[in-house]
Amino acid sequence: MRKAIAAGLLAVGVLATGCSGGDDADSGKVEGEITVLTQRTDIVNTVFQEYKKRFEAKYPDVKVKFEAITDYEGEVRIRMGTKDYGDVLLIPNSVNADQLPAFFEPLGTVDELKDRYRFVRTEQTFDGKVYGLAITGNAQGFVYNKKVWAQAGITAPPKTPEEFLAALKAVKEKTGAIPLYTNYKETWPLGQWEGLRGTITGDPDAVTKLAQDDAPWTAGKEHHVIDSLLFDVVKQGLTEPDPTTTNWEQSKGLLGTGKVATMALGSWSVVQMQAAAPDKADIGYLPFPTQTNGKFHTVVSGDYKNAVNRNSKHKAAARAWVEWFADESNYAVDQGGVPVVLGQQMPATLADLAAADVQYLEFNPAPKGQEGLDGKIGNAAEIALFDGKYRQRIVDAARGAKKESKEDIFADLNKRWKQARATVK
Amino acid sequence: MKKKRIRLTPYLFLAVPLALLIVFTYLPVVSMFGYSVTAWDGLSPTKEFVGGDNYVEIATRPELFGVLKVSLYYIVASAAQTVLALYFAIVLSFDVRFRNLFKGILFFPYLINGVAIGMVFLYFFQPGGTLDTTLRLIGLESLTHQWLGDPDTVNWSLAGTSIWRYLGLNFVLFLGAVQSIPAQVYEAAELDGANRWHQARYIILPGIKPVIGLMVILAVSGSLSVFEIPYIMTGGANGSETFVISAVNMAFKYYKLGLASAMAVVLLLLVLVVTWIQRRVVPEERVDLT
Amino acid sequence: MSRIATVLKYASLVGAAVVMLLPLVVIVIAAAKTNDEYLHSGPFDLPGDWSNVDNYVTAFNDGGMLTGFVNTGIILAFSLVGSVLIGSMAAYALDRFTFRLRGLVIAMFLLATLVPGVTTQVATFQVVNRLGLFNTRWSAIALFLGTDIISIYIFQQFLRGVPRELDEAAAIDGADAFTIYRRVILPLLKPAIATVVIVKGIAIYNEFYIPFLYMPDRDLGVISTSLFRFKGPFGARWEVISAGVVIVIVPTLLAFLALQRWIYNGLTLGATK
Repeated sequence: MRKAIAAGLLAVGVLATGCSGGDDADSGKVEGEITVLTQRTDIVNTVFQEYKKRFEAKYPDVKVKFEAITDYEGEVRIRMGTKDYGDVLLIPNSVNADQLPAFFEPLGTVDELKDRYRFVRTEQTFDGKVYGLAITGNAQGFVYNKKVWAQAGITAPPKTPEEFLAALKAVKEKTGAIPLYTNYKETWPLGQWEGLRGTITGDPDAVTKLAQDDAPWTAGKEHHVIDSLLFDVVKQGLTEPDPTTTNWEQSKGLLGTGKVATMALGSWSVVQMQAAAPDKADIGYLPFPTQTNGKFHTVVSGDYKNAVNRNSKHKAAARAWVEWFADESNYAVDQGGVPVVLGQQMPATLADLAAADVQYLEFNPAPKGQEGLDGKIGNAAEIALFDGKYRQRIVDAARGAKKESKEDIFADLNKRWKQARATVK
Repeated sequence: MKKKRIRLTPYLFLAVPLALLIVFTYLPVVSMFGYSVTAWDGLSPTKEFVGGDNYVEIATRPELFGVLKVSLYYIVASAAQTVLALYFAIVLSFDVRFRNLFKGILFFPYLINGVAIGMVFLYFFQPGGTLDTTLRLIGLESLTHQWLGDPDTVNWSLAGTSIWRYLGLNFVLFLGAVQSIPAQVYEAAELDGANRWHQARYIILPGIKPVIGLMVILAVSGSLSVFEIPYIMTGGANGSETFVISAVNMAFKYYKLGLASAMAVVLLLLVLVVTWIQRRVVPEERVDLT
Repeated sequence: MSRIATVLKYASLVGAAVVMLLPLVVIVIAAAKTNDEYLHSGPFDLPGDWSNVDNYVTAFNDGGMLTGFVNTGIILAFSLVGSVLIGSMAAYALDRFTFRLRGLVIAMFLLATLVPGVTTQVATFQVVNRLGLFNTRWSAIALFLGTDIISIYIFQQFLRGVPRELDEAAAIDGADAFTIYRRVILPLLKPAIATVVIVKGIAIYNEFYIPFLYMPDRDLGVISTSLFRFKGPFGARWEVISAGVVIVIVPTLLAFLALQRWIYNGLTLGATK
């Protein structure tokens, strides 16, 4: 009991001074135990253990520990209120560019790194400094089961949204497969539709223009095209009958075995779908069904970026992991992604895109002071572009679960976007 | 000397409990009030002071309150749950075969882990799941349904899960109250020729009236802050978003910590009002089982 | 009583029992199926081999259930001992002494029950972090103790029924307040202690949000979080998830069967004067 009192008083004492001891200084050498946060709960006990072994063989003084996080965005953001958010972590998408220096150690300047790594020009950089190296890169479009599409008689990628809808209809009629699976319940897969921006116009400044637009959901503009396609697919009954009980892990098997024909996901998904398919060759990748100047376009961008926690006690070791992961782990290639190191070959998973002569584009850096502006506006408007929640509303309206027309929703989105744009600077 | 000691003693005993209470309950509440007058995004080191703006925003955006409609489903469910619990408490307080078995079965779900319950009921409600299969087996195929997918049934399904989970608690509480009525009262009533219905109506109901009143109020405040079941099962999609889920989204999806805190304050005030009404309606009764 | 009423009564009881059990029974059935069986059969089709424990083995090993049980056990032990000491001390002070701030203190404890926990998490998080408890078992223990109003309430209700003469007699014999608390009050509170242990024990065993938020380290997983995290990678394997669910429920069932009477009494005591 006396101990309990002591503990209580101690608690109050610590709180009053607000310090939590244990300040052993960083030695600056590549040594110590580092904690690495990852979103790959599915392979943390397999592939990542292999990485650990190889890394520790190269740096025998370092011990690596993983924390795989299910709700990565949400959990890590809360943890960033503490100093304990791992030594190496993936920068959450919700962190604004101007907040980077407060949380992460700069890895070098853009000029130093831009000839070695992809994506460092525009992503997770601030004030000419790079804060994270991508784990892999993605193209954007639709992952699909080629065999099912072929059974439905479709072998060439659709060139317009109308052709795309017709193709899905053919799949439904001729194969009985679910033409397109939204993965509504998990929310984040609907957020993947946001990645399609830029692929419609093929404009490397699409995101900058989005942030400068007062009404992105106006006919002819990218968000109108993307979200109309989503709406129409659902409206025409070409998606799963009960979206609220979808299951992400299960959906991979459904697509792999041809019970589902298509999903809107980044190209990272191809390898995972192939693993769930009886024959790897069944899985392919489609560009978004629009053409500019007679050509398809896809946006190539970095996935999550590995970064070093500013408060890490073992920064040298953490940095070594970030670089090793980009240079030597082979993660990007194994996962069928666009390699992070410049000069490496495009992956076989994207052979379909090459065959369809799809043009790759990378976004240009935003003008100074406008980094991440589209995200800020989206949050202020409570639209949260990459979250998928606002697209759940579109799905609900399209399947008749909400009494709203497509036009109502787009008008509302435009209104909120415009209001938010006026407040966010 | 001695007098001073007596005065100090209770404070010594209370030092630890109070310290813990203040540190882990009141400090967060106070900082929540603090956040509610800022435009903090939850991450940035600066918290811009905006005065009452967040409260004004809540008051002027009816859709923020619109989600409170969802609480109505849970209030209706709580009412059904109270009636069912009372019925089974009365039935099982008399002589019944397998009394303990029934009692145990009705009560046990209350003890089950919430995460496990979420999974059990996803399996139960999914298309072709337990519920649909049962309906097919008993020839009610026409009733099979997208229980979570149809916006007209999703909240009933979730509220039903809530009944399944909490019925046992209400039931055991009622049972305790019914059994605390002395046996002589029933014997006297039986001598007067009262049947079971009369006993229930004129002895049991008045005897446990305070508990009922209280449960109703608790149900109301509980329904206002429903969170776990819909959060685990649907994530608040398809019109099942409750006030707490919408506050959590505000904080962790749109990063409006200030506004979310203000919503939490409003919820706290609502619960306080409900409790105040409870005190007026059912004075001098303190039941705090959460 | 008339025959019809009797039939109706039993029909309602059996009906309720079926509704309560059905969702659980199908999980037990699913847990014994092979993946192939699961994919090609309905929820009520029985497994080919009831002694198939593969799913349980998978769930137990890959789900980190052992770690979960160990951590839950440690947290339970500390929190329950703490709850009993803290709750009984507070109840003793509030019931046996009159002092100036008594009303205020009682009001503070009562008011605290009304704060909806989820909504203050962001602020609570800062507190836990400042104390250096984040990502340690102490975070959960401290939070379970810090928001522990129910046990204080239960002890206080019980103490009201304990005659004051007992501690007054001890005081006349020259015992000071701490001796009275330890030698007289605490032993007398035994039945209430059982109640607190049960009520708090259930709540702690089932708590999800606190360990989920404050103990993200894999090695610190408790039962709830282990089950939740396990669901991600095994999302497609309902038969394995079912086994995980059963593993989590079985200890509860055993505790319930062993402690039935105490549990009922405990809950009733907690709720009525």
